[in-house]
Amino acid sequence: MILSKRTRRYIRIFFATLVGLLLSAPLFYMVAGSLMSNQQLQASTVPALIPNSLHFENYAHVFSGIYQTIHVRNFINSIVFTVGAVGIQWTLCISGGLVISKMRFRSRLVITTMLAISLFIPLVTTLITTFVVNFKLGLDNTYPGLILPIAAQTGFGTLLFRQYITQMPEELFDAARMDGANWWVLLRRLVIPLARPATAAYVAISVLTAWNMYLWPLVVATSPNLQVLTQTIVAVGDPGLGQITPQNVLFASVVITTLPMMLAFLIVQPAFVRGLTGSGVE
Amino acid sequence: MSETSFANISSPPLGGRPRRRRDGRAAALMMAPNLILFTIFVFVPIIGGVLLSFAQWNISVGPPKWVGLANYRVLFADPLVGQAVEVTLKFLLLGVVPTVIISLGLAMLINVKFRFVGLVRTFYLIPAAMSFAASALVWRYLFQDGPGYGVVDYVIHLFGVNNPPDWLGGSTTWALPGLDIITIWLSLPTATILYLAALQRIPDSILEAATLDGAGPWRRVRYIIWPGVRYMTVLVAIVALLAFTNGSFDLVQILTKGSPIYATQTLIYYIYHEAFDFGDYGYAAALSVLQIALIGGLLLVLRVLSRITSR
Repeated sequence: MILSKRTRRYIRIFFATLVGLLLSAPLFYMVAGSLMSNQQLQASTVPALIPNSLHFENYAHVFSGIYQTIHVRNFINSIVFTVGAVGIQWTLCISGGLVISKMRFRSRLVITTMLAISLFIPLVTTLITTFVVNFKLGLDNTYPGLILPIAAQTGFGTLLFRQYITQMPEELFDAARMDGANWWVLLRRLVIPLARPATAAYVAISVLTAWNMYLWPLVVATSPNLQVLTQTIVAVGDPGLGQITPQNVLFASVVITTLPMMLAFLIVQPAFVRGLTGSGVE
Repeated sequence: MSETSFANISSPPLGGRPRRRRDGRAAALMMAPNLILFTIFVFVPIIGGVLLSFAQWNISVGPPKWVGLANYRVLFADPLVGQAVEVTLKFLLLGVVPTVIISLGLAMLINVKFRFVGLVRTFYLIPAAMSFAASALVWRYLFQDGPGYGVVDYVIHLFGVNNPPDWLGGSTTWALPGLDIITIWLSLPTATILYLAALQRIPDSILEAATLDGAGPWRRVRYIIWPGVRYMTVLVAIVALLAFTNGSFDLVQILTKGSPIYATQTLIYYIYHEAFDFGDYGYAAALSVLQIALIGGLLLVLRVLSRITSR
């Protein structure tokens, strides 16, 4: 093939863009569908791609009227759950990370190994007994019961902070210690400010995980007062429950529940990438 | 910190820094909240799960009753267990392998610098912000069957297939691959990021030199790119494996409930069903032990594979 280097480059960029659009097409479809009329969505011959006319009222139906799918309460629950779980877990992980990276004590290796092993035993595999423990502590259908078992999954975060804090120069800690600073002061004045990039990466990944979590809320938050957004949209979207939510209102509901994360993702994308790879991607 | 010498023993360094510092007490205090919560909600459930697997118990009826190996005897005789293990392995295999291959391709495709590369990469990564729940609802529409076609089937139809599959619905053949497609779509962003990071550590100069020496695209992949990113493949596969393990519950619970005729009943969904629908916690715990062994076994296989291929 006799194509100039430049032409080949353009072809490649064209393909890269095309594939990218294809991969995010379901999301575009979700937004387009949320603005269509229901007749258009249910057209029986050719599926519609572009709304004939824009039906913004679908979004009003999400929050009111007979087809109401999302209650403000669900939004608040999702926020409380996410902020609570990530906030508590961050506190545990950054202090734990400092302990196992810079402090000297006997059981360091045991603890590190245990945390590492826990990464391969995700909650979904220990669901039954985690639920039992939670139940026996009387935490069933309470905010602490929703939040604490998730905050307790400290393996990933602690090891992430450990890796980051290990790279901080030893002399920094020695000097501060010699000036009489105790470890709590070190944590507050030195580690937390210096580990800000690690915190950003950790928060980006953990917030997404918590907001999107379905399984744990499903088993522990059975009372409608405690349900989070993922539970709500699944419930209203389930044709088996006899409650028929129009498809366009359902799309609008999905957009509303995912929009906060989409927008947040656009902002934290570099931190997300850094958290996964341990470094940046150019 | 291993600068021990005889001089140090006789005279400690100025400034009074103890030669072998021990932070035991401060460490214990600072680690305590982390370890206590971890113990209660992670460690105890793991150990407790193993113990519970030797008992018969319904959470709302009296205390657990020790039954020895009874649950395991039932487990090995239960045809639904074999079925669920098979479905789970099929789901993981049909999902993880394509995820690894496709994500490497995608990473190579976007490992190019141009003005809007940031924007284009966002298109690749944005599905990572979606939950299984939200994706399930969107894809249920895309996978829709009759009266006309769903979007996916319509596109397949455009390519000349007259009888496109009945995804997620009544077909025992296509329900599971349907769930895999959704999970692959959700797993690609993370996998692509990981491969992209590995790709960017391959110096451009090596690739350019190879091109000048007349190495075509295939040879460049075979002899330069693949050796450069091979180490990352294990991590990509592990991350995908864990994502698919989660997906094997969420998507099944939301979309198929194990139907048609158990064709999508994964082990995790079976466990959930036994515990929360039938109240058989002891049996569910025994099944969970099997599930953990299954994941452990797969991780071991991955490790062995990576050892062999890196030789």
